[in-house]
Amino acid sequence: MKCARCLLQLQGLRLQGLRLQGLQLPGLQLQGLQGQSARSAAQHGALLQSSSQPHMLRNTQHQVIRRFHRSPINDKNQPVPAEFIDEDDNKKDKSLVIHDDLFEQVARETKTKATFNKVVEVFIKQDVRRRGHVEFIYAALQKMPEFGVERDLAVYNKLLDVFPKEVFVPRNFIQIMFNHYPRQQECGVQLLEQMECYGIMPNVDTKVLLIQIFGVKGHPVRKYQRILYWFPKFKHTNPYPVPKNLPEDPVDLARLSLARIADDRDAKVTVYQLACTDITESGEEITLPHVVGIQSPSQMELLAQHNPSRPVFVEGPFPLWLRDKCVYYYVLRADPVPPEEKVEEPYDPERSLAYPLQLDLDLDRDLGDEESFDVEDLDEGEVFAMCMTSQGDQAVLNQWVSGLQQNNPILGRVPTLFRLEQGPRELQGAHKTKSDHQHRPDPQTQREEEEEEVSVEEEPRRSQGMKP
Amino acid sequence: MSLPKLARLPSARLLTSVLPHHQLLLPPLSPLTIPCRTKIQQDYRRPGQPREKRYPYNFNFSKGIEGIKKHFTLLKDEFFGRWVGPEGKPLIEHLLEQNLVIWEFRGPESLKQWTVSSDQEIGGQSEAHLKMGRNDITCFLHGKLNCTVPRDGETRYSGYCSMRSKIPKASFDRKKHYDWSSFNTLHLRVRGDGRPWMINIATETYFSHQKDDIYNYFLYTRGGPYWQEVKIPFSKFFLSHRGRIQDNQHPIWLDKVNTIGFTLGDKAEGAFQLEVDFVGVCKDYAHTEEFAYEMYERNPKD
Repeated sequence: MKCARCLLQLQGLRLQGLRLQGLQLPGLQLQGLQGQSARSAAQHGALLQSSSQPHMLRNTQHQVIRRFHRSPINDKNQPVPAEFIDEDDNKKDKSLVIHDDLFEQVARETKTKATFNKVVEVFIKQDVRRRGHVEFIYAALQKMPEFGVERDLAVYNKLLDVFPKEVFVPRNFIQIMFNHYPRQQECGVQLLEQMECYGIMPNVDTKVLLIQIFGVKGHPVRKYQRILYWFPKFKHTNPYPVPKNLPEDPVDLARLSLARIADDRDAKVTVYQLACTDITESGEEITLPHVVGIQSPSQMELLAQHNPSRPVFVEGPFPLWLRDKCVYYYVLRADPVPPEEKVEEPYDPERSLAYPLQLDLDLDRDLGDEESFDVEDLDEGEVFAMCMTSQGDQAVLNQWVSGLQQNNPILGRVPTLFRLEQGPRELQGAHKTKSDHQHRPDPQTQREEEEEEVSVEEEPRRSQGMKP
Repeated sequence: MSLPKLARLPSARLLTSVLPHHQLLLPPLSPLTIPCRTKIQQDYRRPGQPREKRYPYNFNFSKGIEGIKKHFTLLKDEFFGRWVGPEGKPLIEHLLEQNLVIWEFRGPESLKQWTVSSDQEIGGQSEAHLKMGRNDITCFLHGKLNCTVPRDGETRYSGYCSMRSKIPKASFDRKKHYDWSSFNTLHLRVRGDGRPWMINIATETYFSHQKDDIYNYFLYTRGGPYWQEVKIPFSKFFLSHRGRIQDNQHPIWLDKVNTIGFTLGDKAEGAFQLEVDFVGVCKDYAHTEEFAYEMYERNPKD
């Protein structure tokens, strides 16, 4: 005798077959039914009949068809055995019906939080015993990034809700000792570990759920307690925090990152050009990139004191990482001054009237009071300004330098050389021959181009490289 | 030889990019679920790789002579250094010094004290290289992180790289330790690209199960063209074992420090770089904290 469940399978297939053919059999009278099973099957059949639209086959009343005596290790990817199909009408489609992954089915539609929640609800409602919940949760954890819900605490709580409550709570000390329901505990721990991975702090709902499911003495609750201890300790350890939601607009992003690397609160950000598209006379579209620069007053002073006979270099692009986003910036800098040319200006006593800046006393510090390290100071040349732009070619950087010139007139007299490299910059040790020289055309300088290039090449290449 | 061992020992990763056995925030598993590597372990052997053969040895005469010269010179220095003072420095310096530069990168020979490793040891695809920086004054660690997980069935996270110092050696390859008991702050000058790194300090342990005990703390770089001075007091370092932060915390014991390392594992795919100018320790009289984390019992019996 066929049990009710097998008959349900038949009905489902039949209805599917009918759907394919666009027919509707009147009255789902089942063959070989007896007694009470007829009633339940008829009820189910009625429900199935009432759901006339095709997609409602997956409604809340739908039972995932699976074998009765086998534990459903995968309620996904289980082909229905052919014998059941062959018993149907020969006119129907004879292909194997494969039950896809519930998540894969959603892939055809849009993947959002709502659909993810719907899938979880389907799973919860279809079986009160939640057969196969461990595999379902693992699959859900894996699919979360595709649906975009990996940073959503409510979704994790909903997923925790899939676990049956109070079944896995140990009831005596032996059960506690021996890792009661280890697979489920491992699954719970894995869920919390994914939350930890994305930096999501669990809340009191998570705690209540975990205690209901696993009891107070299990591994998941211990892990939750650890998260609650260590996360607040490490939350504010970053002295240069990056905001969680980075600005979308590239100009705002450039402002943020330039203010970050300038290390000076007095530095001023100037937007020299906003991104726009121009149409020239010939009808071509030219996109102009945005150019954002930064310079602080101390940098302006240093630039004003710079010796005009020495060139300044525009170097770049250098990478800067903000969380998982990499932006590039360019630097205007000069080579370090050789020691023989260094001029030590005497301290102006009027700069500080409260105390003298320079003392001529003959006091020495004791060994125990030596507060500086015995390391030579790095002299790598000063940085005069930084800028960020989406397109780092010479024309755009020329624009930047001419924009800088308005505030720093010395740039008109100083030769500017460009050391640009395509792609992310590493140390130039291996790329010594690739530096690109170009003299910036400036009507005010008297020097000739060849002279400049020769004099530059004669200088020892001490300070090649990416960063000043 | 302990040097090759060190090269293959995976240094502690960040809290999240770890192998499955090394579960952060998880206590030792109960007896039924413990993996079979309970006995004392040597280096990490990637599953599937053949065990290395130790013989036949290669005998080389000139190398032998050089080795004898080197070791005997070291032995002589140690012997006569004793007459000068502890660790070869005058006693007054040893007692009163406030700052000590441990590693500085002046010249390519300084790179030999460091080992670079990446997740290629577990089958990942990140790369990491170490070379001298501009003017041979700083060291430059650069490379590329790749977060694709190697498909060996047991690894869950990937994408890390690290730079670790080698254990200092006395004559005849005996292990020597750093004694930083008179200092309380780690001071570095670095220039990164904005990525968060982690500093790992490994000390000498007694029991073999403590072999992978490492004390960690974060190194946040600002990025940009300016150098960054970082001061981390030793009281902030927390204990972790195999990349998993431990429940029972205690402050780091500074009298036998073996290695220091820098690790990157921030799950952002792409190129990275870090320049280090020097690493030193100093005594900050203004810092009075003994330990930053609580030491009460975490898993009470009741």
